[in-house]
Amino acid sequence: MKMIRAFIRPEKEQEVVLALEGAGFPSLTKMPVFGRGKQKGLQVGPVHYDELPKTLIMMVINDDDMKKVITIITDKAKTGFVGDGKIFVSPVETAYTVRTGEAVL
Amino acid sequence: MKEITAIIRRDKLHETKKILDELGYPSVSIQSVDGRGKQRGAVCDNDLDPELPDKYCTCVKLTPTPSTYALEHSLPKVALFVPKRMLTMVVPDDVVSKIVKSIIKVNRTGKTGDGKIFISPVESALRVRTGEKDGEAIS
Repeated sequence: MKMIRAFIRPEKEQEVVLALEGAGFPSLTKMPVFGRGKQKGLQVGPVHYDELPKTLIMMVINDDDMKKVITIITDKAKTGFVGDGKIFVSPVETAYTVRTGEAVL
Repeated sequence: MKEITAIIRRDKLHETKKILDELGYPSVSIQSVDGRGKQRGAVCDNDLDPELPDKYCTCVKLTPTPSTYALEHSLPKVALFVPKRMLTMVVPDDVVSKIVKSIIKVNRTGKTGDGKIFISPVESALRVRTGEKDGEAIS
């Protein structure tokens, strides 16, 4: 299993979530985060924004679905401008469902 | 070392913290998150989470959230989310199953929305104050 953490634009969140739901991946967790990247924030005239609001989408999926999910997220969250976000993938060994207590995703 | 990420109901947070104290692993990071599972967030019975506002589904559509954005931009439908608490803790390998069992015991109600627990490997840990590494850092 893999955990996918995608940092995306907050305004693209609904589109990404609905697209994932349509492809059969309805389960995810989201949280608002603030961050900056290579560009060290955003400069608008004399005003410098050091940290910009993003939405972090976290989901755990089976290994085979990884490519599909990443393609969906990149498709929907892409605008072509800086600040589109990043996707990180990390390993997960076990996933438990609390309701049943079983170790299945 | 393993990282335990548990996504649980909001009203079970206190009991979970208590049982972690009893086990001797009180260190935990807690975050408020919104989530959805197989039911796609369509949970309207608020019997189990007293903090949820009445008629949760209606509330989501009325408050100025990204959902409102979705309505304004005539997306096909609105994605619903249920508020949850996310617990993250890094513990030694040998106690993982003990902690997972107790979290499941406390949080289990048998109804949908009980949450998930994920176990992932952690390569190293460092305590900032002393510079201790790995095992010593999380003890």
